Amino acid sequence: MSDRRIGVFICHCGGNISDYVDVEKVKEEVAKEDGVVVAETPMFACSDASQQQMIDAIKEQNLDGLVVASCSPKLHLMTFRATAERAGLNPYRYVQVNLREQDSWAHRDDMKAATDKGIRLVKAGVARASLSDPLKQLRIETKPGVLVIGAGVAGLRAALALSDMGLAVTLIEKEKEVGGWTAGLGETFPNDRPGSELVSKLEKDVRSRDNITLFTECELVEKSGSIGDFNLKLQQSNGDTISINVGAIVVATGFDNYKPKEDEYGNGLDGVITLPEFKKMVDESTGPLVYKGKRVKTIAYIYCVGSRQAESELHPEPNTYCSRYCCSSTVHTAILANNLDPELNQYHLFRDMRTYGKYELLYEKAGRKGSVFVRFEENDPPTVEKQGKDLVVTTVDRLTGGDKIAIGADLVVLVTGMVPRENPKLVDVLKLPLGRDGFFNEIHPKLRPVETVIDGVFIVGVAQGPKSIAESVASALDGVAKSGALLLKGYVDLEPFIAVVDNAKCTWCGACAEACPYGAIEQVTLDGGKQVAQIVPSLCKGGGPCVPVCDQDAIEIKGYTNAQITATIDALIRKAM
Amino acid sequence: MMEKRVDPNLHRELKKFGADDLDVCFSCGNCTATCPLSGDDLAFPRRIIHFAQVGMTDKLRASVDPWLCYYCGECSESCPREANPGENMMAARRYLTASYDWTGLSKKLYLSITWEISAILAVALGVVALFYFFHGPIVTDRVELNTFAPVEWVHIGDLIMAGVLSFFLLTNALRMFYFVVKDSDVHIPFSLLVTQIPTFILHFATQKRWRECDDEDHMHWFKHLLLVSGYLTMLVLVLGLLKWFQTDEVYPFYHPQRLLGYYATAVLMYITVDFMIGRWKKNKEIHKFSHASDWIFLILLFLTAFTGILVNIFRVYGLAMPTYIIYVIHMAIAVPMLMVEVPFGKWAHLFYRPLAMYLYTVKQKAKEVAKKQKQAAAKAAKAAKASA
Repeated sequence: MSDRRIGVFICHCGGNISDYVDVEKVKEEVAKEDGVVVAETPMFACSDASQQQMIDAIKEQNLDGLVVASCSPKLHLMTFRATAERAGLNPYRYVQVNLREQDSWAHRDDMKAATDKGIRLVKAGVARASLSDPLKQLRIETKPGVLVIGAGVAGLRAALALSDMGLAVTLIEKEKEVGGWTAGLGETFPNDRPGSELVSKLEKDVRSRDNITLFTECELVEKSGSIGDFNLKLQQSNGDTISINVGAIVVATGFDNYKPKEDEYGNGLDGVITLPEFKKMVDESTGPLVYKGKRVKTIAYIYCVGSRQAESELHPEPNTYCSRYCCSSTVHTAILANNLDPELNQYHLFRDMRTYGKYELLYEKAGRKGSVFVRFEENDPPTVEKQGKDLVVTTVDRLTGGDKIAIGADLVVLVTGMVPRENPKLVDVLKLPLGRDGFFNEIHPKLRPVETVIDGVFIVGVAQGPKSIAESVASALDGVAKSGALLLKGYVDLEPFIAVVDNAKCTWCGACAEACPYGAIEQVTLDGGKQVAQIVPSLCKGGGPCVPVCDQDAIEIKGYTNAQITATIDALIRKAM
Repeated sequence: MMEKRVDPNLHRELKKFGADDLDVCFSCGNCTATCPLSGDDLAFPRRIIHFAQVGMTDKLRASVDPWLCYYCGECSESCPREANPGENMMAARRYLTASYDWTGLSKKLYLSITWEISAILAVALGVVALFYFFHGPIVTDRVELNTFAPVEWVHIGDLIMAGVLSFFLLTNALRMFYFVVKDSDVHIPFSLLVTQIPTFILHFATQKRWRECDDEDHMHWFKHLLLVSGYLTMLVLVLGLLKWFQTDEVYPFYHPQRLLGYYATAVLMYITVDFMIGRWKKNKEIHKFSHASDWIFLILLFLTAFTGILVNIFRVYGLAMPTYIIYVIHMAIAVPMLMVEVPFGKWAHLFYRPLAMYLYTVKQKAKEVAKKQKQAAAKAAKAAKASA
């Protein structure tokens, strides 16, 4: 006989559940369960009135466990945890049962079976609640400092904004100079401000701040600790190391330009250059463009080089993504080139023109200034070859029903995209996850765009994926906001669902540490000299791969203990009625 | 096969002929979608504009499309970029007229107003000089035009002029024929070239295709048809029946000589004035843009008719000197108009449009023939396979 006092609330969801699941029958069966002292069937469990009913029941009946059988926990887990907390019940003694998505909506054709399944699901929830322990969130004191890795436009801007918040910033840059790619740019879209000017202004500002320390030719080589309290070791080019202690890390390591393969679109031929090379040429010109002593009269641009690739012999590991910035940058550069020489002929061979948002105006302007746009199909790309002395680009013109046209060009500009910067050492130190495209991976592309699975480590700028300068800076400031939110509060509370080791059973084989993707398990020696596994609470995510690999059953996850899982399964396979 | 290179300067060339807004076209195709005359094989105006933007000179020269457009202006009204596709088509016609002309004179006349006016003045002065030096006795007490300018001599002059003019026009038209047929994507059987000749005549006489434009009452087509009828009447009177037409005897009012003359004059004057008012007011798409050649064409035609009727009036009222003087002026306007405008200018369209329609029909028929032959061959191959 259980001495637990559990309240069960089975929600109608206004018919969403009760039209297919006989909630009264479920209540009747569940009420018979050991330890259940309250069973109700509210119309809407999430309504204020129903929540108040729960609070009253918890208080009056002195409940020590709460089960709400309603919708997906993604919707209302936090709602009812808060309800429990308001009633004085430990929120981790609350269990949510998904009676809607996993039952009523899935079995509209069979009410009897749906009811049967509902009873089992709720009983399983009760079983889990019966074995629940009060848990406490883990509170970590945070250090008011941030390491920003990479002093490109994103890193510089992030450093300044963090400094504005009163946080101490350490800004490190692998190269000799700060500013990254932006520093080398002349007029940039959309407002023609030179990149070099942007960077020099940021650098000047950064260097004037007392709470920003800038190290160039410096890399991160070691990391320990966790969110709010990282211990880091930096190494300078002369071999000197610097130790710092920060609460968060902002990774702004940027990108590399795609390097066309040998022979890709005539790469290697005289007169075939990439967009960054062309941009530099335009930036450095004061009149008509000159290439190798010859005036450039006709340019052919080939878009999407290194972006949106399909798997092929040439690209066994294709870059399938769009690099976002290149279309806009190319039409902008074409306008600049036209300003230098209005007689210049410019042919843009593109796959899809993606001058999104405000940059559409640049596309229009380029067209009005005489740039000719010819679309090509992915599986029928242009070819570039030398015909005698001439460089000739041949493409199929779809607008004339597939006529082949040959453009005699003085210059072929391959509109190269962005590729992830190879940074194996940093990836290894930070344990940062890479997406399939090779850029650092965020947790959620929409709602958590700069956070990573490593708490306290934020990815900003192009390190996370292709962006324009404006977007890069926006992303950097996003990382700043997240760092500030974390560090200015002074502490961080973490979910208590972490692994615990039973020292009596553990024999330290190391299997759990190997299984952990977060490096949250360390080997320690107990007072008696026994070697056991120890969990670093702030690193543990409660993912659980350590549990099944332990042949001593010495490790389990709080809130999902072996006993709870077993009891849940038992309840599910027992006869419902 | 080595592909023909594009000419990046073609769009600049077209601009000189009046395609001012060519560059702003972004190939959306609204023009082609709204055009009542475009169809599966006729993707104009977009295709023509695209040829020009990309620089596909050969394709443009081999295309009859510009001649199949009658400038109703729907495309220009529906163009989201205000690229004036209708006017671009007009510019393409000017460009083509210049390209067909092997003398290179047409291009000079189109691109330079100085050249155009100088050429007209030169021919006009030549005509005046001829009369000045070679006119017959001047009888002043009564009108004796045939003594001042004997009709036999004038007729011979007319025929020489017609011969010269036809030589240039026909050789240019032959070049057009060559450009179109040379790059044809389909084999053209000779028999079709013969059997389709009626198409040329039909369209020459009626401009029938214009009626397919969406203009509700077909007024523009009708006015143009009137103009053509007046023009052709006058041409027949002058070239074929001059001896009957240019008489010193004043026939009664109802005499066919006078009626036909009045009809042609009235139509020519009314329509040219109407068109000039249209170009002045610019309230219709077709009249929004006026190239110098458009004005000169209308003005010369009007002046020819106007001076012609003055000759008649002075003659009827027995004003001898004014008749002779205005006759010379009349000739000094009509001759350069015909010599300059017909083979080298806007007037050449009277030949190129029906020729384009003829070539288009021939090509369409040739495609059908080729398709049938292909089907028959496939059928035969299938039958052979089955019997084997």
